[in-house]
Amino acid sequence: MKSSKSSVRIWRITGITSIVATIVLIGGFIYAISDVLNPVGSTYTSDATASGAKPATTVATDGSFQIAVLGDSLAKGTGDDDGSGFARRTVDLLQKNGKEAKLIANLGINGQKTASVLSSLEEPGVQHVLKQSNMIFVSIGANDLFNAGEALGNTQQAPSKQQLLANLPKASKTLQQILERIAQINPDAHILYLGLYNPFSDLPEIRVPGNEAVTAWNTTALNIINSQSNMSLIPTFDLFQQNLNKYLSSDHFHPNGTGYEQIAERVVQSIE
Amino acid sequence: MNSIWPLVQNETIKIIKKKRFYVVLLVLLVLVPMFTYAQMRQAQENRTKFGEDWRVELQQAITDNQNSLGSDRVPEEWKKYRRVFVQQMQYYLENDVNPNEPGGVTFTREFLDNSSSLFIPLLIMTIASDLVSAERTGGTIKMLLTRPIRRWKVLLSKLITLTMFVSLIVVSTFIISYVISGAAFGYSGFNIPVFTGFQPGDTGTDMSSVHAIAQWQFILMQMGLIWFVGLTVGLLAFMVSVLVRSTAASIVIMMAALIAGTILTNMAASWSTAKYLFMVNLGLTNYLSGSPAPIEGMTLPFSLGVLAVWALASVIVSFAVFTKRDVLN
Amino acid sequence: MDSKLTTTHPMVTADSQSVSSQEEIVLSVQHVKKKIGKKWIIKDVTFEVKAGEIFGFLGPNGAGKTTTIRMLVNLIRPTEGTINICGYDVTKQPEKALAYVGSIVENPEMYPYLTGWENLEHFARMQPGVDEKRIQEVTEIVRLDERIHDKVSKYSLGMRQRLGIAQALLGRPKLLILDEPTNGLDPKGIRDMRIFIRELASQGMAVFVSSHLLSEIQLLCDRVAIVGRGSVIAVGGVTELVEDTQHLVIWELEPQAQGEQILQSIPSIQVLDLESSNLDNDTAASLRPHSIITATPEEYISTTIATLVQAGIQIHNVRKLSPTLEQLFLGVTEGEFIE
Repeated sequence: MKSSKSSVRIWRITGITSIVATIVLIGGFIYAISDVLNPVGSTYTSDATASGAKPATTVATDGSFQIAVLGDSLAKGTGDDDGSGFARRTVDLLQKNGKEAKLIANLGINGQKTASVLSSLEEPGVQHVLKQSNMIFVSIGANDLFNAGEALGNTQQAPSKQQLLANLPKASKTLQQILERIAQINPDAHILYLGLYNPFSDLPEIRVPGNEAVTAWNTTALNIINSQSNMSLIPTFDLFQQNLNKYLSSDHFHPNGTGYEQIAERVVQSIE
Repeated sequence: MNSIWPLVQNETIKIIKKKRFYVVLLVLLVLVPMFTYAQMRQAQENRTKFGEDWRVELQQAITDNQNSLGSDRVPEEWKKYRRVFVQQMQYYLENDVNPNEPGGVTFTREFLDNSSSLFIPLLIMTIASDLVSAERTGGTIKMLLTRPIRRWKVLLSKLITLTMFVSLIVVSTFIISYVISGAAFGYSGFNIPVFTGFQPGDTGTDMSSVHAIAQWQFILMQMGLIWFVGLTVGLLAFMVSVLVRSTAASIVIMMAALIAGTILTNMAASWSTAKYLFMVNLGLTNYLSGSPAPIEGMTLPFSLGVLAVWALASVIVSFAVFTKRDVLN
Repeated sequence: MDSKLTTTHPMVTADSQSVSSQEEIVLSVQHVKKKIGKKWIIKDVTFEVKAGEIFGFLGPNGAGKTTTIRMLVNLIRPTEGTINICGYDVTKQPEKALAYVGSIVENPEMYPYLTGWENLEHFARMQPGVDEKRIQEVTEIVRLDERIHDKVSKYSLGMRQRLGIAQALLGRPKLLILDEPTNGLDPKGIRDMRIFIRELASQGMAVFVSSHLLSEIQLLCDRVAIVGRGSVIAVGGVTELVEDTQHLVIWELEPQAQGEQILQSIPSIQVLDLESSNLDNDTAASLRPHSIITATPEEYISTTIATLVQAGIQIHNVRKLSPTLEQLFLGVTEGEFIE
């Protein structure tokens, strides 16, 4: 009898597989529900085999630059037409000069102030990035000082020097903590702190109080940096002072591409 | 005729011989390599950018998301997702676990996550939409219903067969995805820890119940939830197939509903009644990975309840119509 | 209706049932009505089918034949009335009643992607007591054994028809329902089908055949129900029904006028003009100018010829026309039915 064996075979195979599959899936379904509804929080203890042992911090000692950037919008490169920022431009310039350079990560966040940078330094990811670098750029403080440009927009009256300096003592103390903490996380890295400039130097009302405040900040920063080895300050005040139209982007606060390029050139000069 | 199994056997043989299931497998065999290749290109690109260091890569991703959190141009809904993402990724970094450990298993987990609300339901529809309407277009319904068997039994046999094939499709998706992506990324990774139990809330993600499970457990849970989603969509498509004479029409109706669902999930946050629609509740796996629900007030029990009600209603309608209706042509 | 005629079989009208009770009644349809929407598609259908007989269901297209057949096999639920098969109500106990029925409703539509054998297996799984041996048996009965393992999509229409019958026979039915079984078959196929159906009936099976062709029913059936516009107009033996109908006879006589006079003088003969004869176009076109059309009961033809010969009339041609379905309707409804 030529029974259609194929249909018997089809039925056996599909029947059995699908029943097994259904049972497994129902099991998974119940497991999922119970796990979502009654989650048992537990702290995970990493076993090295699972995710791979943490690589030893191997910072290149062959004279190549492993660069990380930390800080505010200036660190990030806001205002730059192609989004590079001074960090990327620095790397490019170094490479053009025949140096080996690499931007490990750009951890700049728009609007960031000193306090949040300090707390972010405790994040393992940030620490990891810092440890992978031998050159760390830091740009912070402008938002503490100018309150992210709001000083200009929100008040009809120009802020006085007192208003601008109100945050200085506290912020500069945090700056010191930041720099020290970075040095602690990676003692081998060179830390470059980007000095502030006065974006309002062409507005008569704020020009003078702004200049004074920025200078005060930069002086304080320099004092901190001078007390540490492996740190230096890149001044930008003089760079922008007479060239605001040329170097500032349309938001009148951040540098434009040319401005960042100027900063990058200065950074390269100082580290080469 | 008392046993239902000979009828289930009939339906199974018809689906296989009609090559409907092969079409499903073929679609998977064509699309999964494409996804795998895309993923591979992305991995390569990231490697040239970040080297082999996933921690740096992850930290950069966190920073990028934090940047968009500060931007006024990013809508508040997206920020909610990104905030949760940032918190989760920081949790992974704190515990020194790579959430994207490259490998076939991780790829499969992500693939399942992405395919649960549209891709797998579509595959299931190719079978479910055809089950009853094909008998009507082919005229074989006359042969089927003039047997000494009650109509509800005929329909029940089709329903059981549908359930079986929903299971087969979910498992096949897993197997094909694992085998193909494994060839590109390696077959290990079942024991990699994955964190689950993130509970996104208004003030931030509640981390108190986060716990690590092995990746295979996570995938098992995913597949279980996807199975339930698939079954619901299957039952709905089945009902449409009972109501509508043409297979093409029933596929179009279901597809429109599913696609409407994906659109709604992206924009329905302010229309809160939309959460009672079945199609916005298909992303059950999001509750596992801890992404925020598309609409306020949606939880796993809520979504399960909504889906169950829809599924039950479509079963009732299917049986009511099928057992009573005159077969006129 | 003319009931003067003596017949060997009882003449049964839709209203009065008188079926001899010795014969087993396989199918009994009692006052079945069906309303679809607001329209009564089936107004009143009543008939019975006995074991071993071939029962014709005759009516023009659109008379409600298919709807009635669909009700017989539980595809459509009657609005009123009952249908019993071997004592079981089709609507209430379909799983019992349908076990005695094999049917082909309209075209035998099978799964084209399965082989003939797989199709039969499929339907065999849906009824009790059908094993592989039975499948083999029915395959041989319909002489499909050579191609049974081919896909149905490769079958010719005749082969599909045969597979349909094999499928209907699977469960050893007591009642076989065939909807226009000769549709689409070639002349040889039609003849084979007739022989085949008679064979089945001779084994004791009741066969219910629907058709819109009177000739088909005449050649095949023992009894017939005539349906028109959703009602059964008459039920009876096929021979009697046909005999009961006026037979048209066409005479070519010489001299014509004298002959016509004699014909008119015979009371049971009616001379008709072309208009009222309801001849179909082909026949009407073939008439010669001097042909006389008469309505003559069959048994009077020979005596009339004798009368004419006695009167010295030359008979060039006498032609008896088989009645058409329309004429049959005219007969049973006395003209009320056809508009």
